[in-house]
Amino acid sequence: MGPRWKGKGSEAKALADPMSKIVSQLQSSLVQSDCHGLLSGCSVLLEVETAQTELLNHACFGRPIVTAENDKQWFQLGMEEAFYLCYYLKCLKIVDEERCTKSNEELWDYMKSKRDTFPDFFKAYSHLRKKNWVVRAGSQYGVDFVAYRHHPALVHSEYAILVLSSGDGGAKGRLRVWSDFQCTLRLCGSVAKTLLVLNIHKNGNGADSPSCLETYSIEERTITRWSPEQCREDGKIVEKKTK
Amino acid sequence: MEFEDWGSSSGASDSEVYVQDPNDEEHCFTSGDVPKLQFRKDISKARWNNELRMAEIVDNKGRMWTTTGIVRSSKIYCSIEETLFLAEIGALDLLDDNDTSFPLKDIFKKVAEGNSGCFWESFEVYRHLKSLGYIVGRHGIPWTMTSVKSKSDSPQGMREINGLIDKDSEGKDFIVELFNNMQINEVRPVFDVYPPNSKFKKSSPGNPSFVLCLTSGHPPSRQEIEYLEKQCNGIPLKFGHVEHGRVSFFSFNRVELPALP
Repeated sequence: MGPRWKGKGSEAKALADPMSKIVSQLQSSLVQSDCHGLLSGCSVLLEVETAQTELLNHACFGRPIVTAENDKQWFQLGMEEAFYLCYYLKCLKIVDEERCTKSNEELWDYMKSKRDTFPDFFKAYSHLRKKNWVVRAGSQYGVDFVAYRHHPALVHSEYAILVLSSGDGGAKGRLRVWSDFQCTLRLCGSVAKTLLVLNIHKNGNGADSPSCLETYSIEERTITRWSPEQCREDGKIVEKKTK
Repeated sequence: MEFEDWGSSSGASDSEVYVQDPNDEEHCFTSGDVPKLQFRKDISKARWNNELRMAEIVDNKGRMWTTTGIVRSSKIYCSIEETLFLAEIGALDLLDDNDTSFPLKDIFKKVAEGNSGCFWESFEVYRHLKSLGYIVGRHGIPWTMTSVKSKSDSPQGMREINGLIDKDSEGKDFIVELFNNMQINEVRPVFDVYPPNSKFKKSSPGNPSFVLCLTSGHPPSRQEIEYLEKQCNGIPLKFGHVEHGRVSFFSFNRVELPALP
């Protein structure tokens, strides 16, 4: 299943304006303005200038909060997004309600306490973001994330992503029985996305600090249904392609 | 709802759902997707060998023998799934030692006994692929001994092949292999599947398109998939699952998303 660009010219637009460039523009802009985000629940709230609003939108970080203020724009970042900007891109400082800047370790512990899957989810998120894929929440499709080749205005998301931890075989693991696969694949098929499972291996290392992330390995696997009715003419048996 | 359509509610085929699933419940009563049998005027004959748990062909008619049965010492032997498939479509008459025909019921019974290396679910998968023209053989069992010699440099299936080369106990050993392949309660490679191909030769079958694995109910774990991938040496794997007579196939392919600009 290849990329589905939205209309003519989108692919060329994306090529002319690579995501890596947009993200590094955002990075330097946030560094310049010494940007601070406020930690609140599972989100980080960010007050930005007009130019940064555009950059955040282009790079697909967070979602704008609609307010009556005209000169300033507020953004709401998810935990993975905020930690990525803070820990990897080093362009965002995150403060608590007392205006104390949180260290990476403190943030890591806080986010883990909010969601115990955070280390795995962050590994998955950063893995794809570092390859310049745009990663957004997947709850609309019953998955953890969706991945876009470029901005969602130009292209449909290609992958529906589930994040599995290596210790996930037990009763609370995902994709445990065949009907889980059938259910997820039917949904992915009807919205023309490929199911991508990201297996996170901690390799015996825990999740005590963000430095553990470097020791994690990640395995990408697509899961597809194969239809013998549709492949018999091909001579070679290939995965079904969408029209 | 019309009565004459009631026979056709079993969706043997299963399609992807980008547009609309033809097997949705509301279609079931009208879609005639139970395969229609072709009339067979040439009926082959085979004799059941209880020791080998296979049928030895005594009278072969028709083209299907180019893609069915394994050849050993110039004789064709049919596994239980091949035997049942041909008997079901009326292309094979299975005889006992007294040349009496086995009724289909007795062949069903043989499958149910489960000691011929094939369970009902594996038979359903076999039948599904065969009726679509795919060429299906037992995984790792060579079609002929010539094909073994010609590909003896390939490490794939060597264990089976070594066992088979011993001439004296040729028959016994390949049966032992069939039993070894028949482990319950785990994921196992069951069939080697080749695409429909009118030029298929048992003496040079080439590599299968994929190895079909079946599970004992649960989807394969990551470890099981990795183990099988190593075992099958780069030949793609697919996993079959049968529920209520419906066969579905899944691929779990290792990928690496490209780094984008």
